[in-house]
Amino acid sequence: MPSPLSPDDAGSRLRARFGDDLTDVTEQHGHAVATVTRERYHDLCRFLRDEPEFACDYCDFTGGVDFGDEGFEVVTHLFSTEHHHNIRVKVRVPKDDAVLPTISDLWSTCDWHEREVIEMFGVRFEGHPQPVKLLLAEPFEGYPLRKDFPLMTREAKPWPGASEGEEDEDE
Amino acid sequence: MGLITEKTSIAKVQPVKFILNWGRRYSLWVMNFGLACCAIEFIAASTAKNDFIRLGVIPFAHGPRQADLLVVAGTLTDKMAPALKRVYEQMPDPKYVISFGSCSNCGGPYWDSYSVTKGVDQIVPIDVYVPGCPPRPEALLHGIITLQDKIKHEDIQEKFSQEAVGAEPVVS
Repeated sequence: MPSPLSPDDAGSRLRARFGDDLTDVTEQHGHAVATVTRERYHDLCRFLRDEPEFACDYCDFTGGVDFGDEGFEVVTHLFSTEHHHNIRVKVRVPKDDAVLPTISDLWSTCDWHEREVIEMFGVRFEGHPQPVKLLLAEPFEGYPLRKDFPLMTREAKPWPGASEGEEDEDE
Repeated sequence: MGLITEKTSIAKVQPVKFILNWGRRYSLWVMNFGLACCAIEFIAASTAKNDFIRLGVIPFAHGPRQADLLVVAGTLTDKMAPALKRVYEQMPDPKYVISFGSCSNCGGPYWDSYSVTKGVDQIVPIDVYVPGCPPRPEALLHGIITLQDKIKHEDIQEKFSQEAVGAEPVVS
């Protein structure tokens, strides 16, 4: 029988184990979300995979978010096929030093997902077995999902689809 | 091609030109370069209700080396572009290309994307553009008829002796 940990329960257990290395533990959409320092990022992931009460044996995805001057956030969504609970791990890296340890040694799924984060955001994953482009063509330059990536077509012509008042938000 | 050249003056004779063009336009072996949702419309156009096969677009070529007509249906990305170029170059002359849908015409909704080729005509010469997002199967039928009309009026000698560069494209 699956016995999922409630988000609060999962959060307090993680807090007890990692203490202040978790900068934030919260609940979103019924899932526990733990934000961790990058020094303990790999430890936390390993803990979530190996600890029997978490047993997160399935990595759903690893993705990136650009927060502008506040750096990048790498989000990893984990699921336990045994307990049927979801845990989300977030980790912030500064823009000028976007380096993280790879977790593709824990879940091989992360291999491709991290390659996508590498090419889209320019985050470096140390220890990744094959850090080359996954989706983009090899000669492509730049990191297209960064907010400051210029869309050349839009430089020449503003987006024509904006409704009234919407243009101001982009400025 | 070599079959009909400047020395083959018989191609100038009107009935011969008529017969040759008639034969060519009703046996367009088609290759579907399906890249996105437009490919589904292409399939819909080939099945019972719309049935472009009745227009002579038959059969589906087993590979580009047997095809006369290439239908580029969908969003061409910069990474896919070399593959399209290669497929086009594998096709024997005389060859025709229909650009099907907004994405392959000009980039369509992905006009500002970092990865989409804004217009297949940057890669291969296009004979007929079919607009729409995606175009209805009827639009492809009209595009095919437009292409056949174009073939009908072609000067064979010119077409067979020239380089791969196509004549003026048409908007269906």
